[in-house]
Amino acid sequence: MLRVVELALSYGATPVLEDASLTVPDARVVSLVGPSGAGKSTLLRAIIGLQAPSRGRIETSYAKREIGILFQDDALLPWRRAAENVALGLKLAGRERRQALIEAEAWLERLGLSGLGRRYPRELSGGQRKRVALAQVLALRPRLLLMDEPFAALDAIVRARVSQDLLRLVEEEGISVLLVTHDLEEALALSDTVYLLSRGPRARVTGEYAVTMPRPRDVMAARTHPSFAPLLGQVWRDLSREVAGAAA
Amino acid sequence: MNGAGGAWLRQLAGLAVLLAVWELAARLGLLNPLYAPAPSAIGLALVQLFAGGTIWPHLAATFAAALGGLALGLAIGTALGVAAALVPIVAELLEPVMILLNAVPRVVLAPLFVIWLGIGLASKMAVAFILVAVLIFFTVYTGIRQVDRRLIERVVTLGGGRRALLQEVYLPSVLAWLLGNLKVAVGFAFTGAVVGEFVAASRGLGYLLSFAQSTFNAALMLALVVLIMGFVLLIFALTGALERRLLRWRG
Repeated sequence: MLRVVELALSYGATPVLEDASLTVPDARVVSLVGPSGAGKSTLLRAIIGLQAPSRGRIETSYAKREIGILFQDDALLPWRRAAENVALGLKLAGRERRQALIEAEAWLERLGLSGLGRRYPRELSGGQRKRVALAQVLALRPRLLLMDEPFAALDAIVRARVSQDLLRLVEEEGISVLLVTHDLEEALALSDTVYLLSRGPRARVTGEYAVTMPRPRDVMAARTHPSFAPLLGQVWRDLSREVAGAAA
Repeated sequence: MNGAGGAWLRQLAGLAVLLAVWELAARLGLLNPLYAPAPSAIGLALVQLFAGGTIWPHLAATFAAALGGLALGLAIGTALGVAAALVPIVAELLEPVMILLNAVPRVVLAPLFVIWLGIGLASKMAVAFILVAVLIFFTVYTGIRQVDRRLIERVVTLGGGRRALLQEVYLPSVLAWLLGNLKVAVGFAFTGAVVGEFVAASRGLGYLLSFAQSTFNAALMLALVVLIMGFVLLIFALTGALERRLLRWRG
């Protein structure tokens, strides 16, 4: 479980987050949505310790090595083949090189990339690179996965397929997920709970919505579930109120 | 006859035509052989250089100076670049010196090196060295500072420490920058060696050039130019192959 309690963060003298509280229970998918620049990514960076909070607490039952993070860009090492990129985390965790590569290949296969392990990142498509980055994180068997707009750069179809495969693995493995996104539909389709972050600076968590659709879930079918449209409408209205006045 | 192969053939044909016209003009007495000897005369001079065996000590001297300066320049340029990138005080002290050395044509130091180091190998190596070292310093220094922050964060979040960062991120990116500049460095090394020999020497291709100049031997001079071009092209091909092999990930 991860609990963020009344967290405040600033970049130097600039306040970013003022009051963020949220909970990610075990084996649940939680999304944080909000306007661009609200400090969503900063919150994730604080959780893994890349950024120190100015106030509030981050409580977690997970060890540091049980927390995985996936950024918006894949950040694969361009000079390492796909399998070596996946094996890197395993080697750093103490696995012997050959063993790490065997496990890496298995993870690539689980993510639908069998036979592509010897390719360099530039020889892969955007969706394939995203899958490699996912394999890299999942291979470390995280119990909590933090994701920062992970699918933003992908086109709609690839995006749906990659997120479906991710959801399947997360459901199978019982991984907790905190997903940061500005795509409301994606947040609702994937999550059990959606938190709304207000417009920054001094952003606050202003809404919490329970998503009650059953699991295992199909990300496309979820969008036609009877409860989907009303909830989307509600979050949309609340989010619009937050954004109003920002750009006008 | 399109595409790269076609272009190659056309370029070769162009060269052949140029040489033929040149040869013809020389034979018809349209060119003064003192200034513009016929291609055949240049070829003959080239053959004589090798047939008589006179070229070998000169080639050896130039290659020793160029490759010695190159190796030294790579080693010391890299070491200083790494030091400057990692230790702020080193950067503070070195950067102005390097910027100054980069701004002036460094071959102006060649006469000074002759005074300091004599007319032997050392002064030529020093010219090649200073040309290469400054280039490599900036390559490595900026290379390290411009390493992709996202890659560093990625390796750190995967549990990597200092050693992993060096091995997985810094070393490969610096190597890529180095290899990308290796061709320029090789060219610089030969420039340095030949210019050094030009200033004062008793051996080397630069010395032969200055000898050809003082005896008004244009055929020998052009033969030497062709020879130097040939060797530099050969080394370019070798470094190109090395680059392709080691930077395969870049495509």
